[in-house]
Amino acid sequence: MKNKKVKMFFLFSFLSLLIFLSLFLGVDGFSFDKTIVLKVRLPRVILGFLSGGSLAYAGAVLQGLLENPLCDPYILGIASGAAFGVCLGYLTKKLSYFFSPLFAFLGSFIAIFLVYNLAFYKGKTNKIALILAGVIISFLFSSLTMLFMVFSKRPLNEIIYLIMGNLAFVFNKFTLTIFVIMNFISIIFLIIIYSKAFELNCLSLGTEVAESLGVNYQQSIRLLFFLTSFLVAIQVAFAGAISFVGLIIPHLTRFIFGANYKTVLPLSFILGAIVVIIADLIARTIAPIELPISMVTTFFGAPFFLYLLRRNL
Amino acid sequence: MPIFAYEIKNLYFQYRKEEPLFEGLSIKIKEKEWFSIIGPNGSGKTTLLKLMAGLLRPQKGAIILFNNNLFSLTSKERAKFIGYFPQESFFIFDYTVKEIVLMGRNPYVNWFSQVSKKDIEVVERCMELTETINLKDKKISELSSGERKRVILARILAQEPKVLLLDEFTTHLDISYQLEFINLLKRLKEAKDLTIVFLTHDLNLASISSDRILLIDKGKYVACDIPEKILKEDLIAKVYKIKPIVKIHPLNNRPLIIF
Repeated sequence: MKNKKVKMFFLFSFLSLLIFLSLFLGVDGFSFDKTIVLKVRLPRVILGFLSGGSLAYAGAVLQGLLENPLCDPYILGIASGAAFGVCLGYLTKKLSYFFSPLFAFLGSFIAIFLVYNLAFYKGKTNKIALILAGVIISFLFSSLTMLFMVFSKRPLNEIIYLIMGNLAFVFNKFTLTIFVIMNFISIIFLIIIYSKAFELNCLSLGTEVAESLGVNYQQSIRLLFFLTSFLVAIQVAFAGAISFVGLIIPHLTRFIFGANYKTVLPLSFILGAIVVIIADLIARTIAPIELPISMVTTFFGAPFFLYLLRRNL
Repeated sequence: MPIFAYEIKNLYFQYRKEEPLFEGLSIKIKEKEWFSIIGPNGSGKTTLLKLMAGLLRPQKGAIILFNNNLFSLTSKERAKFIGYFPQESFFIFDYTVKEIVLMGRNPYVNWFSQVSKKDIEVVERCMELTETINLKDKKISELSSGERKRVILARILAQEPKVLLLDEFTTHLDISYQLEFINLLKRLKEAKDLTIVFLTHDLNLASISSDRILLIDKGKYVACDIPEKILKEDLIAKVYKIKPIVKIHPLNNRPLIIF
């Protein structure tokens, strides 16, 4: 128990240090220009904190809910739906700063409802069907996105950045308001999901065991599925589909702090936030041009995950 | 009038796109009874147990649990009556023993997943009863299969149920462990006034432990009575298609089946 507290202390100290670094570190070393810090770097840190945290949180929920440790938040087609939405938003040209996130959100929404309904049969949601439907819907939206990429005359890298995650979202008064409202909703969702931590422990033991322990399976799966999906959809709309965080962070958290969902959920959030802020720091300082975040998270995440895997074998 | 733990009336059940399994099955299980269910593979034992646990819904018929309609109870109410031990358990995440036993308190925790002092007390008591208290901080992956079974039993007891539904509780265990488990269950049954529904392939184990035995074959009721009247050469021969010899066990006078 004491050990856990020490670990938590380190985690939070590290997070504070990291936020400090992100605010004042740029391509040319440290800089303290007020406008850059407040208008450019602060939004990035906030966006990174919320999206990284939410993605890891959502991944943790879905892995337990679907009894599948290989689940990530995008397995249910949310990211592909969003990416296609972004493409459609591009068609509005000058208004795309507004329509891209909106359509991203709508795209995820459509994907979520399609997947849920495809896996719903005779009053029950089938977990395996949920994953399969997610993968299929994902492919479907990806093919539409590819079609768009081929036919649109826009430079491809703009789309690539949005699909692969990027924290350089341009805020104006209007988008900022939407961002604040959406994230307020996110926080409420995070709290509701947390209140189900005990049920999530039970659900990870399998549907029948969970039911025998008094979990109302259908009610829980519906609630948790929609809340986590919306959580992810909101983040993808603003920060793009940052990959790998939702898959590895929950495992890393379990590895350090144990498997109980009451600790896994909040600490996945913190660790996810840390990793995305670091990734963003690397993405915007390491190379002459800004790299997509997913490139960084995956490049550093994959070997690390393999290391964890080998250690546990 | 005796109180019935279970009254199963005229049960009809079939899996989707399959032949009907149960067509009008009726049985009664008395309170505090050790009730074993035996029958060949595919006879519907596990399905029956899942129906009794409320995990499957019959197409027709009623299941009455201590005078309540099983299917009008909420999930949590049901979990306070029934402890269900599944045939197989798997853990995708490496929980500690204590965390797993605590999950048995799910029907009692409040809406914000908060664990009370009483929950902790019950969990510790259940770990003592099943002799798992010394394992409480171990990870489930570090345990032997016998230890795992005791942990799951502790989790079920933490639900403070009135009935235990045990699906092949003693399979994959060595002989001494099997007897130890039977004795543990007998002690728990007395201490907590439990009704035990025990599903097994081991006829001799059913013989020494049961008050009554139900024999089913392909979903059909064959017989239900005290062990001496079920474990008879002709009945076993008919259902299992073997030629057994039945003797009287010299120590406990129960039927002893040799094949």
